[in-house]
Amino acid sequence: MTGSAPRSRVALVIGSGGVKCAAALGLQQALHDAGIEVDMVVGCSGGSLYAAVTALGFTLEEAKAATLKLWTREVTAQRNRRALLQLLFPRVFGFSEAWGFREDGLILERLHTAFGDRTFADARIPLHLTATDFRTGEQVVLSQGPLVPAIRASIAVPFIFAPYRVDGRLLVDGFLSDPLPINVAMREGASVIVAMGFESPYQTAVRTPARFAFQLSSIMTNNLLKSRFAFHNAAHHAEVILVVPEFEQRVGLFDTWKIPYVIDEGRRAAERHIPYIRRLLGAGRTA
Amino acid sequence: MLTIEVEERGDVSLVRIGGSVDGLTAGDLLERLTAELARGRTRLVGSFADVEYTSSAGLRVLLAVLKDARGRGGDLRLAAVRREVYRVLDLAGFAGILKIYDDVDAAVASFAA
Repeated sequence: MTGSAPRSRVALVIGSGGVKCAAALGLQQALHDAGIEVDMVVGCSGGSLYAAVTALGFTLEEAKAATLKLWTREVTAQRNRRALLQLLFPRVFGFSEAWGFREDGLILERLHTAFGDRTFADARIPLHLTATDFRTGEQVVLSQGPLVPAIRASIAVPFIFAPYRVDGRLLVDGFLSDPLPINVAMREGASVIVAMGFESPYQTAVRTPARFAFQLSSIMTNNLLKSRFAFHNAAHHAEVILVVPEFEQRVGLFDTWKIPYVIDEGRRAAERHIPYIRRLLGAGRTA
Repeated sequence: MLTIEVEERGDVSLVRIGGSVDGLTAGDLLERLTAELARGRTRLVGSFADVEYTSSAGLRVLLAVLKDARGRGGDLRLAAVRREVYRVLDLAGFAGILKIYDDVDAAVASFAA
């Protein structure tokens, strides 16, 4: 007995990586130019911004313009004056779990400018954004409701932005549970997963407490990325195509002027995989 | 596209793999490597010098062969892995469980150690 194989469901997964996540726009463009349709998008942390613009159908230029305006150094320039006092004298100043060194007013304002009142239902293709439950450490997948709170939760970088409450759960950055959440695409039925991931950069010199904290964060995040990817890669039948752009220039967390370069590198990395993805989809079967 | 050539070097089978180790070629690779194991050639060196591409399905074949070879008292070791392929192997945890050598001779010699 023969039957036609079901069409492969293609997912695009964009991992955490700050400004580097803009490389996903180059990947998206490469897929589009090759006529490869994406059936769902998953985003984590900085990747959630690019997942959202992709799923909403922004053009490359619209996406570039929106993110250039959104993610600049100013969004973390406004210090939360009370935070340092809360750190030094927690009982006196009432330290709480909703704690971060920076005010989040500006990032929320900019998210509203970029996404307005759009909800997940406005996406042209299913969109899933990940965050992490602050209390339990569980990965939380946000797939409905307004986009702005979901993105704000997904980018709640520890120590910088306070955890953010969505539907009664206090959420922190998605990278803390999985920097490259391909498991979400697997659970949603994707058979071909194009995953763009980024390793966190290590510090060249550690002379401040902030750099010390960033270094420890990079060590933990990179090890988490590898262990989670290794497990999903080995345990599931889905075909995972890992796209890892190479950046010869160092790309900092807020180096938004490098976005055109980052997009180009994303496209370059993606083009290496396009022939195989086309053959795989053309073969009408999944791995 | 996948090319596979097997060369016997003493009790080590040197498997020169070329092209793409992916979901479309994984079956052929598994078949060839399993055939080596089935005829008692359990010391395998996979030369990756000509492997240009790999995906999760290809990696799962390596894992299956690795387990099988070790279960039979042998091993699968890799040599001459290109940088971009090594990056995927590293992220997928293979660099931590497989022995990977810079060149084929070192990988073959490692079985004598």
